[in-house]
Amino acid sequence: MSQETTHAHHEHPDVVGSRNRLGVILIIVADVAMALSILFVYFYLKGQNVNNMWLPTATEEVPATVPVSSMGAFYIAIISAFGMLLNGYALKGAKAKNQSQLTLGAMIAFAMSVIGLVYQIQQMNSAPFTMRMGAYASCYYLIAGLNALHLALTAFISLGNWNRARLGLYKTDHWHVAIIQVWWIWMTVSAALGAFALSFT
Amino acid sequence: MTTTMDRTASAGHSAKSPLIEKLNVFTAFGLGIILAVVFYVLAAKLIPEDTDAMLIHTKHDQIILLAMIGWFIGFMVGIGALIGPFRWLLGKDLSHDENMFYAGKDLGTKRYFRYTTDHKVVGIQYLVTTMIIFGVGGILAMLIRTNLGNPEGGWIHPQAYNAIVGIHGIIMIVGTIIMITGPFGNFVMPIMIGARDMAFPRLNALSFWLIVAAIPPILSSFFLGGIMTGWTAYEPLASESPAGMDGYIMFICIFAISTMVAGANITATVVRMRARGMTWNRTPIFIYGVVASVALALPAFPVFFLSQIMSAFDRAMGTTFYNPAGGGSGWLYENLFWLMGHPEVYVILLPAIGALMEMAPVFTRRPLFSFNVAVMGIAGICGLSALVWAHHMYMSGWAPLLNGPFMLTTELISIPTGMLFLVLVGTLWRGRLWLTVPMASIYALLWNFMIGGITGIYLSDVPADGALHGTMFVTAHFHYTLMGAGLTGAVASLSYWFPKMTGRMLDRRLSWVSFWMVQIGFNVAFIGMFLVGLAGQPRRVESYNAMFNRGNMVTTAGAYVIMTGMLILLFAVVDSWRNGIKASDNPWFAKTLEWSVPTPVPLENFATLPVVTTDAYGYGKAKS
Ligand code: HEM
Ligand SMILES: [Cu+2]
Repeated sequence: MSQETTHAHHEHPDVVGSRNRLGVILIIVADVAMALSILFVYFYLKGQNVNNMWLPTATEEVPATVPVSSMGAFYIAIISAFGMLLNGYALKGAKAKNQSQLTLGAMIAFAMSVIGLVYQIQQMNSAPFTMRMGAYASCYYLIAGLNALHLALTAFISLGNWNRARLGLYKTDHWHVAIIQVWWIWMTVSAALGAFALSFT
Repeated sequence: MTTTMDRTASAGHSAKSPLIEKLNVFTAFGLGIILAVVFYVLAAKLIPEDTDAMLIHTKHDQIILLAMIGWFIGFMVGIGALIGPFRWLLGKDLSHDENMFYAGKDLGTKRYFRYTTDHKVVGIQYLVTTMIIFGVGGILAMLIRTNLGNPEGGWIHPQAYNAIVGIHGIIMIVGTIIMITGPFGNFVMPIMIGARDMAFPRLNALSFWLIVAAIPPILSSFFLGGIMTGWTAYEPLASESPAGMDGYIMFICIFAISTMVAGANITATVVRMRARGMTWNRTPIFIYGVVASVALALPAFPVFFLSQIMSAFDRAMGTTFYNPAGGGSGWLYENLFWLMGHPEVYVILLPAIGALMEMAPVFTRRPLFSFNVAVMGIAGICGLSALVWAHHMYMSGWAPLLNGPFMLTTELISIPTGMLFLVLVGTLWRGRLWLTVPMASIYALLWNFMIGGITGIYLSDVPADGALHGTMFVTAHFHYTLMGAGLTGAVASLSYWFPKMTGRMLDRRLSWVSFWMVQIGFNVAFIGMFLVGLAGQPRRVESYNAMFNRGNMVTTAGAYVIMTGMLILLFAVVDSWRNGIKASDNPWFAKTLEWSVPTPVPLENFATLPVVTTDAYGYGKAKS
């Protein structure tokens, strides 16, 4: 996401910024397709309930699969929303040339992504079933896994963002922060979509 | 050129980050292999043994998949793909000199073995890689045809035969997906729209090296028991396949990332980087073909990616997405696969037709017959192709009530497809033909794609498909479209743009000989296949009833003619690249921008960026 062209010194930052913005949006389009397919998988398998194994009942060896509350997933979405707001706060700071607001917002946004990631992993570890225990359990880990992957990516991006803010690299142009805002929005939406699906068991 | 700085002057700079200069294809393979071995050994040691109580045994697949992930990480680190992102993270963006180094400035042939960002280098890299992929796929095809030369089949073990058919299929599909967008989309397209490079040069290099990283996993499949599913990797059979399936899975996952990256890059380039004055009406039709293709692939391939991730989890983690015993469903896989699979056939076809539509005005010296109809045809195909996927599942028992609607949408595709035919025929009509290989390829496409398209309509008819599904008829149908139409367009593109890419003309005599051998061999081979398919010979089976013998003999004979023609083409390419007749800057007297720059094309294409005032088809008014 840095200056991609070999001729950046000839181009106005807004031109470079809008091009990069489009690139990121297109990659998000691909990610949206994947996230929607995951919802399709979830509702398809839930609707089919093949062999009554969406939520298997107890057998002699294995206990019944009890779905978890979707609240955990909604908390992830809420944490992401906070991250998004903070990045927006940082963006405002960058626009107003307020360096301390920019750095502060970027830093807490990064913290949010780490908190979200840790919390997501903790949820996966403490789920009352393994991924072998029926179709719901498989899908639960799929949705949680996508969240974890997104959050890890977000952590990388927002760490870079904070670091670059700190180093004063956004003094002249701030399109990086604006594009990262697009990603944060999608991060939040995708987490909310997953939580929405998980609220149907 | 504004930068004439020589390497010694920039040495002070590069000393700061010698890492960039050290990494190349050798470090990539080295690190990839090392990490694969390390992951393999650690996984074998640390992962607990499967117990008898487990219904699904997973340790072996975990080890294999982890080793392949190790390979992947090692390769990408070793080629230098992560330097850019980490430099961004550290806030130490690449300097101008470093970017120039990445672009391959003053590196000579070494740049072809590095993470080079110059789109022309990437184009050549893609071209050579595509040819290698087709070479491997071609050898597998000849093994299949030779085995089918007599009814008992026999000399290839049935399971090996399955692996050969499946891997032939999937690597040819990947080859055809990249065969135009990769070499010509990268080399030619940015020049054609008047840009200095792609929008994201580093992503461009990334998309190429991802493909290189994807190839060893699929080839390793042969040594891991192969796959027994054919190229579609249907579940739950895929979960019962030997570890070779893991190679397939990794191949697709890595390739899907490459497709996503390339799609975003190409689309952003065309949307944002066209020369001043190049309105959408003045944008060459080839560009539309390429953009439509990658824009279709962009949402389609993540679905494929997901389907394979879930396969991997079913195999290695014991999830039950596709395993009915645990609440999974094979139909789920079929839906995901074909949601990608049908758009994918147009991902393959559209750039080929776009390229031939670009050449038609050049070799008839007439404007393209209705640019708008061409654009509408392409758009219509894109729109409909997302709504037809279940025509591959008529006989699967999934949603019989939907068969009618899917039959309707499928047959509707004939309309926009017909528009593209109309554009080509209309351009040829009363044109002053210049009979070159690209020109003849337009006729070949019209012929082959007519047969491919019309047999497609038979297949889209539910009752007819009841008889034809699962037979060699289907195989013949899609070879007519993929090879007869798609590959023909790619070969035409090669001879058309060869002068710009290599500075030399592709040998005329040899390319004509090759053209006729391939086209005649192809039609002989696949008409034979239609006949045995109509008579009921099942596909993907290594032996057959003696009644099909004659048709198969014909097909095998045709296949050998194709092979000979292709080898002649290969020879022509290698020979002309080295000693061919020197080409002028614009040997076809064409009007698109790539012919306005000197050959060899300088590092940043244009000394001053062009301004466009007309479309590229101003060959005078059509008299008809
Ligand atoms: C007028 C356009 C077309 C129609 C109506 C059509 C229809 C169909 C139908 C109904 C099938 C399913 C047959 C079966 O499994 O029983 C099929 C298979 C196939 N078609 Fe087409 N098709 C068309 C064009 C194309 C094009 C342009 C391509 C590629 C460039 C293509 C590639 C394939 C492939 C790869 C398969 C087989 C997949 C498999 O089962 O392994 N088709 N086509
Ligand atoms: Cu189809």
